[in-house]
Amino acid sequence: MKQFLLKMWSHCVRLAARWPSIASIAPFIPVVAAWWIVTELQIFPRVFLPGPVEVVRSFGSLVYTGILPAYLQDSIVRLAVGAFWGVALGIPLGILVGLNKRARTALWPLLLFFQAIGDIAWLPILVIWFGYGLTTITVVIVYTVIFPVVLNTVLGVRSIPITLHRAAQSLGASRIRMLWEVVLPGALPNIVTGLRNGLGYGWRALIATEIIVGTSGIGFLMFDARRSGSVVEILLGMIILGILWYIVDSWILAPIERATGQRWGLVTR
Amino acid sequence: MKDLTIRNLSKTYFDPYAGTNVTAVHDVSLKVEQGEFVCIVGPSGCGKTTILNMIAGFIPYTGGEILVGGRPVKGPGPDRGVVFQSFALFPWRTVLENVAFGPKMRGVRKVEREQIAHEYLALAKLTEAAGRYPAELSGGMQQRVGVVRALANEPDVLLMDEPFASVDAQTRMTLQEELTRIWQEKRPTVIFITHDVAEAVFLANRVVALSKGRVLDDIAVDLPRPRSWDALNDDARFKELSNRVLQLVRSA
Repeated sequence: MKQFLLKMWSHCVRLAARWPSIASIAPFIPVVAAWWIVTELQIFPRVFLPGPVEVVRSFGSLVYTGILPAYLQDSIVRLAVGAFWGVALGIPLGILVGLNKRARTALWPLLLFFQAIGDIAWLPILVIWFGYGLTTITVVIVYTVIFPVVLNTVLGVRSIPITLHRAAQSLGASRIRMLWEVVLPGALPNIVTGLRNGLGYGWRALIATEIIVGTSGIGFLMFDARRSGSVVEILLGMIILGILWYIVDSWILAPIERATGQRWGLVTR
Repeated sequence: MKDLTIRNLSKTYFDPYAGTNVTAVHDVSLKVEQGEFVCIVGPSGCGKTTILNMIAGFIPYTGGEILVGGRPVKGPGPDRGVVFQSFALFPWRTVLENVAFGPKMRGVRKVEREQIAHEYLALAKLTEAAGRYPAELSGGMQQRVGVVRALANEPDVLLMDEPFASVDAQTRMTLQEELTRIWQEKRPTVIFITHDVAEAVFLANRVVALSKGRVLDDIAVDLPRPRSWDALNDDARFKELSNRVLQLVRSA
């Protein structure tokens, strides 16, 4: 028996090594199984907690009618646009604050103050200013993404050892080239961390914003489903949120981290 | 390669905790001829690293002057290559790119600067490591890269700040022997900071003993080259010179 279990175990390990995606799916198997058992036993009424089968069926019909692909696209485009501007503004601002003492003295208190006014707290006034539209959503996402990016960029810039600045200077690097050759790569591992946090917060803020001001998107899908009393679609929306974030993290963010900080030995594996 | 003149150099800074002015370097004068290897030796806190940082232009000096090839030092520049105790290699650049960094900043084309880098890597027996990242190398190998990175930029003066203090004793001896070999081949003007008396005598043409920010003495080392630890360990002249420097440093 023991022999058999060990053999099974080594088989699983080898399988997971060959197809890493199996290793990332495996932890969900017991969760889904438990969910299925709970719904089959009818511990809660079906209307309150539908089972995995219903959710998959609802996924099929929403894809078939084209609603889900369209909403998904809307949400992803909104996040991408917001994240782009958040990063495009956040990295230069972070470098400025990180390098320049005067800029730090002037901007740091403001950064902390505005960071504390969370993204959603801006919604009431933004709706009055910009109405229920894309502008409001984009402003919220940019606002959410920019703070983690700026604060982590500042941290990254300031954690570069002074000897690296000195080495580059005494090898003839000008101030401008120092930015590209030392400051940016030196801060990159922290910038990626900031981006990861920013996107995570941004994703949540997007869903919340869609619930309040949206006319499409995954957040709107879930809120709309609540209105029509469709718990299946609410659950589906929640599951899609989790899966999408998993994809963004493991297909985009983790490879960037592997290619930079980990490769350079700046971050422990 | 050019000569270096230091005249009446001093460094005073305000210590906000003590509330007084502290003088780290007192009226130091030193002339290093072109192609000379000078070691500045002294205990920690004697001002030797401060002197090197002022020559490199990393920190300003408050009195006297520093001239490289007759021109006064104002800030860091490629005419003074620096080798750091902490290696200070760029972690995001391969060994080859680290060594090619100086020529790249001068605007040397990619093919040419990589050729220069390969040539210097061969000099330090690092050809195999060219494509690797610094984090993948041992401390001794990282500092070999640090030395040739500074040399590949062909500075007038090479400044070395306790470069071998953070590698193990055996590797240190190898690096010291390699440095004397590379110095003989390229004949750069070198200022080498160390607290290790034997290291100073082993490497230098001249040893300058420093204590509490003042020059105690300037001792010529007339040992023959090439130098090796096997030959010098039992050498009477080496022992005599080392003892003299050691007593000088300890007496102050």
